[in-house]
Amino acid sequence: MDFIAAEIDYFFSYISEVGTGKLIRIFWFFVIFEFARLFVIDFLALIFIYVKRKLTKKKRKEARRLLFLYNPLISIIVPGKNEGKNIYKLVSSLKEQTYRNFELIIVDDGSDDNTEQICKSLKRNGMIDVFIRNEVRGGKASGANTALRVAKGDYIVHLDADSSLDRDAIEQIILPFYEDDRVGAVGGNIMVRNYNDSLATILQSFEYNDAIGIGRMVASYLGVYRIISGAFGAFRTDVLQKVHGWDIGPGLDGDITVKFRKLGYKIVFEDRAVCQTSVPNNFKKLTKQRLRWDKSLIRFRLRKHKDVFIPNENFSILNFLSFLENIFFTIGLNLKWYFYIIDMLVNFPGIVGMIIVMNFFLYSCSNALKLMVFNFFRERRNSPIYIYFPFIPLMVIYHGYYLRIVRSIAYLKELFFKSSYKDAWNPEKTSSKAKQIGI
Amino acid sequence: MREVVDSDILRQGSFEFIRIHEQSTYTLELFMAYDSIIIDSGNRDFVEKLVRAVRTHNQPDVYLKPIFLLKSSKVEDPLIGNLIDGVIFSINQLEIIADYVRQILLRINDFVFAKSISLEAEVISRIIYLMVSRDKNELFAYLYLNSGLGYVYPEASIYFTPRDEHKLLNVMKTAEIEGLFTSEFNDRIYLCTNCETGILSYREVCPKCSSANSKAEDLVHHFSCAYVGPISDFQNAIDDELNCPKCNKFLNHIGVDYDKPALLHTCNKCGHKYQDYHVKAKCITCYHDNDVENLIPRTISNYYLTKKGRNIAYHGFISTSKDFNEIPGTVKFDVFKTMLEYEVERLKQNDATSNIAYLKISNAGELYSRIGIDRQKTLVTEMIKILRKNLRSSDFIAFYNASTLILSLNEIPTKIANNVLDDVVKLTATLLKKNFRNIEIEIDHHAQPLNTELSHEIQLQNLIKKFDQDA
Ligand SMILES: [Zn+2]
Ligand SMILES: [Zn+2]
Ligand SMILES: [Zn+2]
Repeated sequence: MDFIAAEIDYFFSYISEVGTGKLIRIFWFFVIFEFARLFVIDFLALIFIYVKRKLTKKKRKEARRLLFLYNPLISIIVPGKNEGKNIYKLVSSLKEQTYRNFELIIVDDGSDDNTEQICKSLKRNGMIDVFIRNEVRGGKASGANTALRVAKGDYIVHLDADSSLDRDAIEQIILPFYEDDRVGAVGGNIMVRNYNDSLATILQSFEYNDAIGIGRMVASYLGVYRIISGAFGAFRTDVLQKVHGWDIGPGLDGDITVKFRKLGYKIVFEDRAVCQTSVPNNFKKLTKQRLRWDKSLIRFRLRKHKDVFIPNENFSILNFLSFLENIFFTIGLNLKWYFYIIDMLVNFPGIVGMIIVMNFFLYSCSNALKLMVFNFFRERRNSPIYIYFPFIPLMVIYHGYYLRIVRSIAYLKELFFKSSYKDAWNPEKTSSKAKQIGI
Repeated sequence: MREVVDSDILRQGSFEFIRIHEQSTYTLELFMAYDSIIIDSGNRDFVEKLVRAVRTHNQPDVYLKPIFLLKSSKVEDPLIGNLIDGVIFSINQLEIIADYVRQILLRINDFVFAKSISLEAEVISRIIYLMVSRDKNELFAYLYLNSGLGYVYPEASIYFTPRDEHKLLNVMKTAEIEGLFTSEFNDRIYLCTNCETGILSYREVCPKCSSANSKAEDLVHHFSCAYVGPISDFQNAIDDELNCPKCNKFLNHIGVDYDKPALLHTCNKCGHKYQDYHVKAKCITCYHDNDVENLIPRTISNYYLTKKGRNIAYHGFISTSKDFNEIPGTVKFDVFKTMLEYEVERLKQNDATSNIAYLKISNAGELYSRIGIDRQKTLVTEMIKILRKNLRSSDFIAFYNASTLILSLNEIPTKIANNVLDDVVKLTATLLKKNFRNIEIEIDHHAQPLNTELSHEIQLQNLIKKFDQDA
């Protein structure tokens, strides 16, 4: 502690000597990228969203009237393996929905536990409409495609088995289709149900609350929203059929939205459609999950959908920008961060310790500011925000070091070793095919 | 048509056999005059009808009559085979069967026939009479198409219509509880929830709309594009090749580029797609479509007559203990007799009038057949309730048989006793009218004073004679 106090003392005497220009020179990474993008832009966008919502309240009401007037059938599809234990909770939350006209389709993708028995008994009791059991596992995409093939609804809501929904979640996630007929898919707002489980879960809950939740609201407003989480997303059935459903994952959540965008449909995020889900409860599992997510970015943005960067008749400037933004803020930012570290080590070797402490302080302040300011814009909260305050400094490490390192490893592995094809998340038979044909 | 003529009366020793053809005209009562019946017919339906008619007649002199079939071949039908006493190939063989007929008739001679108070007891005693007279110990169940259960107990099922045959299973359970039979597992059957018959047609049906009209198809998963759909999605009209509707590639090798993870049924009626079809069982009798989970499971047993059961034939079987347990307010006939004896003794020391009386449903046969066993019990129970309300606790009631109650009405003038019975009769008639439209009940009653000079048994016999005469 003495060391840190000494560094801070040193820092303050240092900045009193140097000017603002010098300060920005030292903390350029924070000032330009982090503060500008993650606070200023978000804050402005949130204000615009807020105003827009106030102004279009009538439109929303009209959309709701139309939804209940047309009363379209919604197919809720839940593919999964060994998820029997979670199904009852899910079914119970579906029974409470304000929107009633839906069918529930469960695809059991080769479970080797009692999932089949649980689902069959729920089906007998009329709590599941269609239950399909695959004796051998086919992977997440094929499970979802099986459900799509038998679905009769006008909209498909994709759910993870370990999710449960707010009472009005189905209604809220369908409303955007009635507000704007160019909308092809809607992402739901994921909240962490098990935030109280461990340090890993509370940090993720913090992340879903701010970086992910707010980030998606802003991205959606700016038209660059990219990933509809598999945990809770809604799709127009006709468009899904047009694109022949999901392709092999990992990363199929991001992939499907790219396919929608290529056809010219809008993808929006609906923060008022809330789904609770369980997140990995330790850092080992979390690391595995994030490695998979991050690898998929390389695999899908840079390999499978590289045509987005090529100007042809399907070219869309918005898709191009969205991709570019995505790549810049993930891969690019990741690289720049390393560049920043090198810059500091080379040019300010004497005050590196002080810089680290200061960065830590700056990030903590901006996190606290975001937590409080953005709270005003959240219409639905999972947990009281004060529970997050003690974790603000830890979040700096979580975001700034942990996630960044995981991301770097994932990119390297995928770029040089195509390691996502080895992931046990997909059955070997499908991965080897995917690798062979280069997707 | 022709009358039974002299040439149809066959004599063998001291026995007279009557030969019946399809063309014969006869009444069942006619058979009482003969020792045995010879059915001269190869027509299975005719034989069955006649055998059933004889065995279900209400007079022991008819229903226990030895029956032989004059036929050129063996009898395959288990029902007929077990209800007749043998097959002869020519009337010259009468000599061979005469001794058998003698044995049957000798056994019947020792039987005591008592009227049973419930249909249950009635059926049990008749089964036992028939079995003991033939020295049979086994009552077996046979698979039988024309039975309501799919199984027939030849000596027992004939008392029920196919729709009511399930009631026999309860009757036999009672008989077993009474210790008259022991049982051995034969088979398990499942009965319609609506009518309790067992001839059902099982079908795999759509779980949504219960239609059996469906198509089953393999689901195909194409690995490289993750497309999944029924195999028809991949087929074309021209050749046998399979190609993917999503990525257009050919599917070459199962396990390498595609597999079939599941079988899927598509309902042709409602379009529902399902994997686990429901099994439904349609009842051939009442057309009810049952969920198989709800079918009523029953055990079909083979029964063996016990020594106690055999003795029934020689003592009669008036009631099962259940009959009395279930009708409160009455005492057993034996108990009634003892109580009557005490009452006569008591009257000797007191200067009072007590009465002995009966109440008899004179149209019981018709009435009971119209309302069924279960409601018969309800009716009798209700009648006892009315009686108990109008009588005092010192009065006592017993069943003489299923249609007749005997009562002891103590320390009231005979005239008043008759008035009380009058009221009870009226109340019962009103009750019946309320519950069973179009059915009339006719009840005879009579009360007479107890005489201290005569034994209670003689007085009881006199009373019984009185209502038996009425009949
Ligand atoms: Zn159907
Ligand atoms: Zn394909
Ligand atoms: Zn039936």
